[in-house]
Amino acid sequence: MSKSEIAQIRPKSIGTSIPRREDPGLLTGRARYIADIVLPDMLHIAILRSPVAHGRIRHIDVAAAQAMPGVELVWTGQDCVARCPGITSSLEQAGFAVTVQPLLAHDEICFVGEGIAVVVAHSRAQAEDALERIDVDIEELPVVTDALTAVDGADLANAAVASNMIYHSNRVTDPVDEAFASAALTVEGRFKTPRVNASPMETRGFVASHDWTSAALTCWSATQMPSFIKTMIAIFLQFPEQNLEVITPAVGGGFGQKAHLHPEELLVCMLSIELGRPVSWIEDRQENLFRAPQAKQQLNEMALAVDNDGRFLALRDRVTTDSGAYNSLPWTPLVEGHAGILVATDPYRISALSAESLSVATNKCPIGAYRGVGFSAPTLAREVLIDRAARKLGLSPFEIRRRNVIRQEDFPYQTRAGMMIREGSFLETVDRLEAMVGYEDFRKRQQEARKEGRLLGLGISIFSEISGIGTRALNFLDYPLTSHDTATVRVEPTGKVTVTTGIVTSGQGHPTTLAQIAADAFGIPVEDVTILAGSTHHAVGFGTVASRSAVFGAGTIGRAAEIVRGRMRAVAARLLQATSDEIEMAQGLVHVRDDPGRGMPFAAVAGAAYFAEATHPEDFDPALEATAAFDPSDIVLANGGHAVIVEIDLETCMARVEKMYAVEDCGRMINPMIVEGQIRGGMAQGVGMTLLEELIHDDRGQLTTSTFQDYLLPTSRDIPDIEISHLETPSSLVPGGIKGMGESAMISTPAAVAGAVNDALACFDVAIEQFPASPQRIFEALSEAAVLDGASLPN
Amino acid sequence: MRRADEDQKMGVVATVNGRERRFEVLPRVSLADSLREELGLYGVRVGCEHGVCGACTIIVDDLPVRSCLMLGVQADGKTIRTVESLGGGKELHPLQQAFQRHHALQCGFCTSGILATAQALLEENPCPTRDEVREVLSGNICRCTGYQTIVDAIMDYAACAQANDTAFDAGAGESAT
Repeated sequence: MSKSEIAQIRPKSIGTSIPRREDPGLLTGRARYIADIVLPDMLHIAILRSPVAHGRIRHIDVAAAQAMPGVELVWTGQDCVARCPGITSSLEQAGFAVTVQPLLAHDEICFVGEGIAVVVAHSRAQAEDALERIDVDIEELPVVTDALTAVDGADLANAAVASNMIYHSNRVTDPVDEAFASAALTVEGRFKTPRVNASPMETRGFVASHDWTSAALTCWSATQMPSFIKTMIAIFLQFPEQNLEVITPAVGGGFGQKAHLHPEELLVCMLSIELGRPVSWIEDRQENLFRAPQAKQQLNEMALAVDNDGRFLALRDRVTTDSGAYNSLPWTPLVEGHAGILVATDPYRISALSAESLSVATNKCPIGAYRGVGFSAPTLAREVLIDRAARKLGLSPFEIRRRNVIRQEDFPYQTRAGMMIREGSFLETVDRLEAMVGYEDFRKRQQEARKEGRLLGLGISIFSEISGIGTRALNFLDYPLTSHDTATVRVEPTGKVTVTTGIVTSGQGHPTTLAQIAADAFGIPVEDVTILAGSTHHAVGFGTVASRSAVFGAGTIGRAAEIVRGRMRAVAARLLQATSDEIEMAQGLVHVRDDPGRGMPFAAVAGAAYFAEATHPEDFDPALEATAAFDPSDIVLANGGHAVIVEIDLETCMARVEKMYAVEDCGRMINPMIVEGQIRGGMAQGVGMTLLEELIHDDRGQLTTSTFQDYLLPTSRDIPDIEISHLETPSSLVPGGIKGMGESAMISTPAAVAGAVNDALACFDVAIEQFPASPQRIFEALSEAAVLDGASLPN
Repeated sequence: MRRADEDQKMGVVATVNGRERRFEVLPRVSLADSLREELGLYGVRVGCEHGVCGACTIIVDDLPVRSCLMLGVQADGKTIRTVESLGGGKELHPLQQAFQRHHALQCGFCTSGILATAQALLEENPCPTRDEVREVLSGNICRCTGYQTIVDAIMDYAACAQANDTAFDAGAGESAT
């Protein structure tokens, strides 16, 4: 049977907003996060991190640190490299520059915050005290901080990356020049998205406990990818994988940042093996801002050719990703600009695309995944350009999108990057969003406000989201990877159901939503299902990333349940004197189709399979347990749109979000309450990235925003109430018609916020293309228009 | 005045979650770490350790306090409430129930601190406006929810408490059993 087979699930609990079963533990403080894992005899580490962005270690002396109270061990990069050369990050792509990131630098240092030495002590405080006694002499090297000038520059950010070019691709090379030459209108810009940190409220952390007597290495990780981490430990440390377990405790948010193999994770394993004691690494916030994977920094030099009627003719994009000093694993910097440019035209009919992407090494922390990774930046550039074209043509931002979105009659539509779009509700999204915003009224209100000296702006964004990312989607995005999950489903003798899954949660609600899926697979109450997750002794999962858990949860649980259902049907058929094909399961009963009177309780059939051989058909396999894999047969595409209204304060030059709207089509929703939670949270992050958050490095590569006092996260004053509307185009590739949706808001909200700021400024004929649109940048834009001299606002 | 010796633990006597607790801590240890490590109150979450994110908020002498900005030794003689005191042993407090009902938490890491902030607000102002709730909440960062459902939950709880004429009672979950 195919791994993409779509099992039958009849939605009953699916579609209802049942409260989350994991909430009581979280609400009472009983849930245990990584920092709450305390083991007997456990030691703590602190890492000496480089104060310079680029250099070479001349000399390092740890003797004084070693002599400090409570210190058990001090290691330098030399100690590490002898045991593990580092994290090799490669991709099978011609021209891709492989990097090897040492667990601790032993020679070249490539960014501020890179580990240089580690102290293991009885407490974190003692370990930090000892760090101060490490004497290190670093020869400083030229620092590369600007990705644009780094290309072919004389200075290298990392000696392993020639010309600072990690990867350069021209994936789609349609001849667009003709379209641009003949176009009635060309809009273009240089859009810079900021370098940001996903900033989960819980930092990263890892605990390892090696027991030499059993040869077992047990790890606890605040990770989104436990199965991946386990296999990487086995490979990089050459540790027997059958003796490895990675446990995921409660995780305090991840958003992609915790979907990587971090050098510290391998380091902690090595230290526990070396010392034979449990070792804990709990990152502090400053380390997180310096060293946790950073995200989103792209320059999109984009142009859109438009005809007189506002129809899009061609799109040209050249994206440069500021990649940092090493390739993160598994994503590499290709996850930003290179993946993003492949969706630059969605969800519009654009028949010519020129897509060039460059990933450039700099002396900064490696770039990695963060919600909507890759897609946020090109979406922002495209949507702002569409608004600009609409203004020039005198069209409403809704009308120009209506004229260009892929419509029902276009399906299947193949984008120029090669993605096949078979379904979606793009046109309906535009219409719905327009009605929610009340477009005509808004324009009147905007005019009135201007008379009062207030600046309002409206921005909208239409998106499609590659969700439920499996092998086909990864291959489309140029990752030669295979990605399926498994689940094990067991019906217990009393008719209760236990599901083991590789899907771990960091707030998305899987213990609840996966139980809803399993309940509907057997037609039993959701209370009768328990989801076991969080140990790699359970099923295998690629990770809670890329909006894939709903899709893979439904796919794996559906397929495994179908195998078990088949066996239960065989028993029931015998007991009810019917054929297997006639047996159905619903409402806690197993009965003959269309005849619930000829039935018996689900639990009775389970009991018979376990304990009553006389009820078994011939050659019956009584295992009411099955494991199955799932990987969708193609890209599972969700879609929707966002609208944002901002007000710019002319005194402070601050943009404040007044109102936000979302339309989401993620097929059939498992739990609408949770879907809306994902939308609201993602939109808040989108506002952060577009108005507030920015990791700023100076020209020596020093991070100048290293606390939450200068790296600004949105607060409850920054995020207004959000109005949400749902459309429902069920997926034909996933049981129950389910699609993924966790990243959509972060893909498209930044574009809507950016559009709103630019709409507010458009009356002065100025624009902002570099984000976040901070008061400083708005001030500069308004100064350019000489607005701040007290002149009245144009009508 | 006792002398604070960097390497010498100091004795602290405080009322914590309704019970007198005695513990010893090094003078440099934060109250957050003291509560976690000395008293096992792991519901106190440490998010940024410089008083910005609000995850470690607890109630000290009826005021919301960042426990990362107080030292453990400063708890001497104080009355402290952490999330572990909210509700009874076997049922959620109605405020916690409102949080669950409204999906006012996702990863849950900021939740202990937000509950403490809400608790302190409601004790002082049992029927706040939405705007007042947003203002008070602005000292607690939540990265998951976008805040709206947190405001909804607090408003819903306040409305229910008003209707039932019950002031904020930290043990309300227990009394309901």
